[in-house]
Amino acid sequence: MEIQTRKEKNAVVVSVKGRMDAVTAPEFEKNLFDLIAKGENRFLLNFGELEYISSAGLRAILTAAKKLKEKQGKISLTGLKGSVEEVFRIAGFHAIFKIFESEEAGLGET
Amino acid sequence: MFRNRGIAFKLILFFLLSSGVIFSAVSGYNYWFSRKTIERNVEDNARSIVLSTINRIEAVIRSVQKVPENLACFMEHGSCDKEELLLLLRKVVENNSEIYGGAIAFEPRGFDGEPVAFAPYFYKSKGEILFSDLASESYQYFYWDWYQIPKELDRPDWSEPYYDEGGGNILMATYSVPFYKKGEKRLFRGVVTADLSLEWLQEVVASIRVLQTGYGFLVSKNGMFVTHPLKELIMNATLFGLAEREGDDNLRKIGRRMIRGESGFVSLKGAAFGKPCRMYYAPIPSCGWSLAVVFPEDELMADVSQLNRTVIILGIAGIALLVIAVVYIARSITRPLREMARATGAIATGNLDVELPRSRSGDETGELLDAFRYMKESLKDYIRKLTETIASKERIESELKIAHDIQMSILPKIFPPFPDRKEFDIYAIIEPAREVGGDFYDFFFIDEENLFFIIGDVSGKGIPASLFMAVAKTLIKATAMKGIAPGEILTEVNRELSQGNDSCMFATIFCGILNTRTGLVLYSNGGHNPPFLLGRNNEVTPLKMGKGVVVGAWEGLAYQTEQIRLKPGDGLYLYTDGVPEAINEQGEFFSAEQLRRKIGEFHGASIQEMTVGIMKEILSFSHGAPQSDDITMMMIRFIEKSKSLS
Repeated sequence: MEIQTRKEKNAVVVSVKGRMDAVTAPEFEKNLFDLIAKGENRFLLNFGELEYISSAGLRAILTAAKKLKEKQGKISLTGLKGSVEEVFRIAGFHAIFKIFESEEAGLGET
Repeated sequence: MFRNRGIAFKLILFFLLSSGVIFSAVSGYNYWFSRKTIERNVEDNARSIVLSTINRIEAVIRSVQKVPENLACFMEHGSCDKEELLLLLRKVVENNSEIYGGAIAFEPRGFDGEPVAFAPYFYKSKGEILFSDLASESYQYFYWDWYQIPKELDRPDWSEPYYDEGGGNILMATYSVPFYKKGEKRLFRGVVTADLSLEWLQEVVASIRVLQTGYGFLVSKNGMFVTHPLKELIMNATLFGLAEREGDDNLRKIGRRMIRGESGFVSLKGAAFGKPCRMYYAPIPSCGWSLAVVFPEDELMADVSQLNRTVIILGIAGIALLVIAVVYIARSITRPLREMARATGAIATGNLDVELPRSRSGDETGELLDAFRYMKESLKDYIRKLTETIASKERIESELKIAHDIQMSILPKIFPPFPDRKEFDIYAIIEPAREVGGDFYDFFFIDEENLFFIIGDVSGKGIPASLFMAVAKTLIKATAMKGIAPGEILTEVNRELSQGNDSCMFATIFCGILNTRTGLVLYSNGGHNPPFLLGRNNEVTPLKMGKGVVVGAWEGLAYQTEQIRLKPGDGLYLYTDGVPEAINEQGEFFSAEQLRRKIGEFHGASIQEMTVGIMKEILSFSHGAPQSDDITMMMIRFIEKSKSLS
């Protein structure tokens, strides 16, 4: 798993590449937590190059989102496709996260 | 070849080889250089002996030559009668110690008044001066070389050595100076001679000593031995005769050079002189003879050989000493190593209490021993800790197994669960992963005709997942028993589970209530894989779903209740994500699409045959690949009540 973070005007874009499973999810979680600890509270997660996500990955996103909720922060998702998109859809994440078609759309909205 | 030999062997071999090479080079050079030096010294010595001897001989010869030359001059310019001449000749012989004898030999009628031959000769014998007239019948002086050759050559000349039979009666060489009658025509009148006794020359040459047995010899103009330690050679043999006898070409060449008046140093390998020799020769200029000194090569090399022997003995002793030292050093290295190898072998078999050899020194071997001892102790410590860890891990594993067993035991396992209810059929199967997973299912009647059923999957694995699952299952059952709709059940359960759930553990849950009389199913989905609806005519379609979020992680969610009416023969196939996410060795997923096809293939089979059959398919698909998730399936088929009653 490779994580790239990029600070944009009104959000931090976190791009994840590879597999997010029980082994790699803690690293992703720590990454987000570090950013949150630095005061960031708006995130756009770009999963365009994510090949696979397990329940551990979903849990990491939920944990971060829950932490942000206390600080009036927010997480949005973009780049979902294929089996990853299906996992998010089945898990019902559409109901609690804003999901954008593209990064630009996400940044414009946030 | 030497790879498997011990260190001591290699050390000794390499030290021996290298010191052997060094020693050979040093002693070889030493031998060569000292040989050169000694050769040069002996050659110089031989040369100076030869030259000084030649000088002595030359001085004598020159003074001998002077006498007849002066006398010849007097014979040409002066005049005297017979008496005076005899007196003069006698005086000359008497006064010149170098001269053995002297004669004035006239041509026939060469002296006034004498009719034929006249040759007065005075010579020394036992301190007296004796007179002899050579003009006797027996002597016939005209035919002797000492008379003939100067006459023919028209110049003074030394004769070859000869035994003067009837004259001086000794071995001698004669210097003859011709004299002439002055006038219009130069007329040969006779010769004046002086004899040189060769005894004196023999003494001089015999006194030459080079090394132990080196000697000198003299050869005449035609190679005749004039002096030689071997008396039988004198006047009897020539160098060329000797060369001929031995077939020694080299000696012949040397002989030619000697009589040509050259000088030089030569090695004589032939047998002419008994053994290999060195020789220096140089000419005596005034008489054209050649003086040589000969000395055996083995004497020349005696000192060098002695030196060489001593050096070799010293060298061998040195190398032996070196070998002893190397053996000692090698032993001091290899003994602890060997002991250590033995100890390592023991350690390898698990005996960590083996006694290590004492380090006796602070060198590398000692350091190695210390490090080894430290390693042994660390290993011992590590193994002790490892044993403890393994014990505690085994305990945890056994606890996990118990947890797993408990988890499995709370799932209903007896089928058919309601043998007297014929209006529906239900079957569930679970293939737990090696690790404790989070899949669960349940079904129970909440009243006479409504069957509640649920399938779920808790996120994560291990003890936390199984605890969460037990809580969720219990909570769901308690909530379901209130008789409320599935959406409300999930809403309530979510509210309970999400409180204080900071780690955001969640479960995906699908639950429903089947009215066993009407076939109406009320259902709600919390983020779970949508079940398939199996039509009577073998159509397999995913159940229509709303946006149900996973249960337990997010507070304040409301879940929708959906409904579908099952016709008699219709069934629901419920599964967890372990099914589509089962992977084979190539890393490919079993996939929901393949699952859907497989379900179709089992058309007409009982729900038990179907679930068990599909499970077999999945397990054979993922054969060899580690199963990381629980695989759970549950199937419900609605059978018309009237039919079941009839």
